[in-house]
Amino acid sequence: MNLDEVDSKIENWEPKIIAFLCNWCSYAGADLAGISRIQYPPNVRVIRVPCSGRVDPFFIIKSLQAGADGVLVSGCHPGDCHYLTGNYFARRRFTILKNILEYIGIEEGRVNFSWVSAAEGEKFATVIKEVTESVKALGPAKRLIKRFNYRKL
Amino acid sequence: MEIVERIREEARKALEEKKVELIIGFEEGSLPLRTTPAFIKSIDAVERLIWNATCENNLANYLLRLKIKGKVGIVAKGCDARSIINAIKERQIERDMVFIIGVPCTGMVDRKGIKERFDEAEILEAIEVNGQIKVKGERFEGSFNISDFLYDSCKTCTQKTPSLYDVIVGDEVKEREDVDEFREIREFEKKSPDERWAYFTREIESCIRCYACRNVCPLCYCKECFIDQSRPQWFGRSIDESDRMIFHIIRVFHTAGRCVDCGACERACPMGIDLRKLTKKVEKDVVELYNYKAGIDLETVPPLATYKEDDPQEFIK
Amino acid sequence: MEEKVISREKVVTFIDTLIGKYYVFAPVKKKDFISFDEVKSGNEVYLGYRNSKDSPKRFLFPQSEVMLRYEKGRLIEEGPFDYGKRVIFGIRPCDIKGFSLLNKVFDNHDFRDPYFITKRDSIILIGMGCREPQTTCFCTSLGIDPGSSDGADLFITDIGNKYVFQILTSKGEGIISEYDGFNDAEKADLDMKEKVSEDAKERIRTKVEISGLKEKLDGMFEDPFWSDLHEKCIGCAICTYLCPTCHCFDIEDETVNDKGVRRRNWDSCMFPLFTLHTSGHNPRESGKERMRQRIMHKFNYFVSYWGDTACVGCGRCIINCPVNMDLRKVINNINHG
Ligand code: SF4
Ligand code: SF4
Ligand code: SF4
Ligand code: SF4
Ligand code: FES
Repeated sequence: MNLDEVDSKIENWEPKIIAFLCNWCSYAGADLAGISRIQYPPNVRVIRVPCSGRVDPFFIIKSLQAGADGVLVSGCHPGDCHYLTGNYFARRRFTILKNILEYIGIEEGRVNFSWVSAAEGEKFATVIKEVTESVKALGPAKRLIKRFNYRKL
Repeated sequence: MEIVERIREEARKALEEKKVELIIGFEEGSLPLRTTPAFIKSIDAVERLIWNATCENNLANYLLRLKIKGKVGIVAKGCDARSIINAIKERQIERDMVFIIGVPCTGMVDRKGIKERFDEAEILEAIEVNGQIKVKGERFEGSFNISDFLYDSCKTCTQKTPSLYDVIVGDEVKEREDVDEFREIREFEKKSPDERWAYFTREIESCIRCYACRNVCPLCYCKECFIDQSRPQWFGRSIDESDRMIFHIIRVFHTAGRCVDCGACERACPMGIDLRKLTKKVEKDVVELYNYKAGIDLETVPPLATYKEDDPQEFIK
Repeated sequence: MEEKVISREKVVTFIDTLIGKYYVFAPVKKKDFISFDEVKSGNEVYLGYRNSKDSPKRFLFPQSEVMLRYEKGRLIEEGPFDYGKRVIFGIRPCDIKGFSLLNKVFDNHDFRDPYFITKRDSIILIGMGCREPQTTCFCTSLGIDPGSSDGADLFITDIGNKYVFQILTSKGEGIISEYDGFNDAEKADLDMKEKVSEDAKERIRTKVEISGLKEKLDGMFEDPFWSDLHEKCIGCAICTYLCPTCHCFDIEDETVNDKGVRRRNWDSCMFPLFTLHTSGHNPRESGKERMRQRIMHKFNYFVSYWGDTACVGCGRCIINCPVNMDLRKVINNINHG
């Protein structure tokens, strides 16, 4: 979404959150939450990935640039990665990336991470609630969004 | 014997014995307070090599940039040697394909800092004598202690003597143990996110995307940089604020566990952008979280190429 | 030609008057350099500058310009957009010459670029003669005089306590009449003006030999000279982006979701991507070919096409190159090599 639109729609604004979910755990966790009819906010758009280790920092940043108000990356608990160590390596990358983003001024709470297993439907719903609330509290994302200020030279 | 004499001697020997194809060092520059990288291929040319407090370029960059067949000799300061260690670790060069002439370094002089002293007046001449830089302009003269005008990266450097070399010219320099290299970063972290965002947007606003910061860096050797990718194109190439900011975020992300704080990027930037505020932050996090400093030894595994089961993860829900 | 004078203090009020009516761009201090930027008050203008870090070419040829805007595959709006009437205050003679060189490329017998032309036509150039050229200035070698008013609408010479304004065009006349603080220049003022420009010219000590350079380069495409020249160059775009004459660009569509713009962005012959073919082949494979291109384009091809050299001697590439590649030396080596 274009930021100028977001600004004008601020009153009935609902955050858009992009969630990158690992196929082997969090994605199945989301499924379980659904099957179990656990309620959670409808603000997330899910993108299934083979492993949290597949989540390139580009994905996160590109989401923010394209207008996401929040991002969630969720994978298997440490020790449970389908590929054994994918999430361990990813964890270090996420740590560094999250620190950089917050350091340059992206608000804490825009970019989130969680470990949710296939059996944790309940936890999945809680994470989504928490993330949605924190993003709502921050309001529409303004930083890093591409604005197309085409008249400015 | 003076350092410069010893550099020349080693260079001459290496070329004579056909140990190397060429020597990368420094020669006289064309502007006051400047030297320029030199590529010495013949014994006669060895005399061109010099050494002083303005040999600021990180020559390790050329080991990765130029496709040189055969063994290369290189004049390396502490930070250059750290960059070479990085490059060997990252399998970009082979240890036995470089001949390192290590130079214990006492710091490089911040030419912009000196120039600022004279406002718009131009420095016409600068000479170095006994730890001092004497400068002359049309209507002024001045003399500075080099130690008062070092680059920020040199002020906090703790690896002045190269930790990897084949020969070393000059005596080991006493490393500083009292420096708090991350003090500025800690101060900056205390500011609010809004203030930090305002600071970086203001800095980045003058970025012309010349990519000098990337191209001088001894780490940026990717065949295709993410910012140049066009199939698909990840990020735009205009001077849009978001695209510019993202270039800097990802560039600095890519330096994690690799940046040796040589300061080359900030020095190269024509627009005087405070790039070290970014690189130093990542360096600090890597030290604090994973207890790793880049380019210190050939053995320790780089932090993003490994993990520990109990790595910090408080931020993960 | 008509000349007016104005006192130092009044220049500020003159600029203030213009600000109400035009977008005024003038040299301002930024960090450790000077750059042309929009000013909201005459006091912001920094008149003690030698030259700006970046060339003012971006007022005619912006680093990034939106050409059109589309949505869901349909054209919404097409440029050139109107950027209003703009005054560039204090541009140096070399940079004005840069404008005229760009003009050859963007407005000629077989090609007229509307984006360039609209901007050119809505711009008023107030040139300013140099008093203290830098040691890296070699404009005179390219036939440019640091006191030359060629191409300006108005031209200012700083004669100490006063400024002499030369009125060169009707546009210039027009803006002079916006402000009533001008007096007619007297003989003494004009003599002083002459002296200032003579002095400035004298102060330019760097000389490079341009005559015969093109012919020399004609036979040098395969010369071994190029194999070493580029070695220290790291292939950034400082020299080309800061240069007042470089004009290469790249057009691309930037789309986010279903909306986007077509942009024209600066590009540089020093980047490998500049000539990379879709097939993966790159005709300018290494730094050698790219450096050769830069030099050849400026001092040989441009001369063949347009009868002029694509260098104005401003020295920006020399001052700012991170590895101290000095164009003057390169030219001398070509001449004597
Ligand atoms: S990021 Fe900058 S300081 Fe760090 S190694 Fe690269 S050039 Fe040196
Ligand atoms: S060197 Fe400076 S201006 Fe050039 S791309 Fe890097 S930060 Fe931007
Ligand atoms: S500024 Fe210097 S290093 Fe950069 S491309 Fe030009 S000549 Fe090469
Ligand atoms: S090159 Fe000539 S015209 Fe340009 S700033 Fe220098 S002296 Fe002035
Ligand atoms: S498979 Fe789920 S994180 Fe690796």
